[in-house]
Amino acid sequence: MESLVKRNALVFVALTVAVLAMLASGKYLDRTRKHGPLKLIGDVKGVEAPDFALLTLDGHKVKLSDYRGKAVLLNFWATWCPPCKVEMPWFVDLQKQYGKDGLVVLGVAMDDTEPGEIAKFASDLGVNYTVLLGTNKVSDDYGDVQYLPTTFFIGRNGAIVDKLTGLLDRKDIEDDVRKTLATDPDAPGRPVTVQQNQADAQPKPAAPQVPEPKDATR
Amino acid sequence: MKHFVGVVLAALLLTLLVSAQSMDDKPKVVMAPIGKVELRAGASKDVNLDFRVGSEYHINSHTPKSPLLIPTVLKLDAQAPVALGDFKYPAGQDVAFAFTGDEKLNVYSGDFTIDAVLKAPANAAAGSYPVKGTLRFQACDHSACYPPRNLPVEFNVTVVK
Repeated sequence: MESLVKRNALVFVALTVAVLAMLASGKYLDRTRKHGPLKLIGDVKGVEAPDFALLTLDGHKVKLSDYRGKAVLLNFWATWCPPCKVEMPWFVDLQKQYGKDGLVVLGVAMDDTEPGEIAKFASDLGVNYTVLLGTNKVSDDYGDVQYLPTTFFIGRNGAIVDKLTGLLDRKDIEDDVRKTLATDPDAPGRPVTVQQNQADAQPKPAAPQVPEPKDATR
Repeated sequence: MKHFVGVVLAALLLTLLVSAQSMDDKPKVVMAPIGKVELRAGASKDVNLDFRVGSEYHINSHTPKSPLLIPTVLKLDAQAPVALGDFKYPAGQDVAFAFTGDEKLNVYSGDFTIDAVLKAPANAAAGSYPVKGTLRFQACDHSACYPPRNLPVEFNVTVVK
């Protein structure tokens, strides 16, 4: 009888440990599925910007590392995003004003639409900077960019100076452009760390409360 | 006893895993549960599907003012012999946001209802028939927008003679 109790207790403990281990691995797998093991989440200032190779609207490959030594404004946007549309003329002006000082504006279009439609949209807004076709990978690498517009300011040394999410004032953007232009090309950036992966910088308002059930055929 | 403990723990594990998976991706739109939908063979009946947009968000209406904006679209398939059609979307509200200046967007916010018509032929066998599909929408808040999402929509229609 005693051995039966002991055996049941052992089975219970083993099952509990198994459940906890599976839960932990499930949460880890879910996080890595969404964000990968080392991604730009949390405080990203000073962190080396992940390199990428993306296609331009006319099919040329562009790498972020091609612009080492320049100040890069990396803007994630989409044609279906009205707040993004507000910022784009500002980027056109900033590219004109600060291009001679080393500013490079790169727009990453997160659309599923044809490149031709994106090109027409950009052309209609007078876009004078390079537009790249976004991918899930670049979105993931930059911290699962879901909230558009999101803009990264990348210093001449390849490290992130600031990240702005949502539509802000033009002044906020221009202030960050100036800071980015003032960066030292030889200053070392810090690598992405596991700690940055733990925090979640994406704004997540509460889900709506489910309405009360009604007679659907009222 | 061992089997009982195993079953309970497995159920607990499944519940926790499902909730852990869904916590990361909060919905901007939810649907009210649909009660019993009964349809007489040979008849048609209106069905009203109630949705709620989260208080911080708005979504484009079915007829947004620009072709670049992604409209709200309900796509549903009913299992034969039940048929579903004649979707009626509510009119959106014309709203100006800080990011649109004087330009107004046609949006849904708060609660909205999409109506449709269910039909069953006279020779339809009595029974329960599933209706499945998605509500496709694209949400924004006061300063930014989220990628388009598909909300699963599912209910059963009971055909009676």
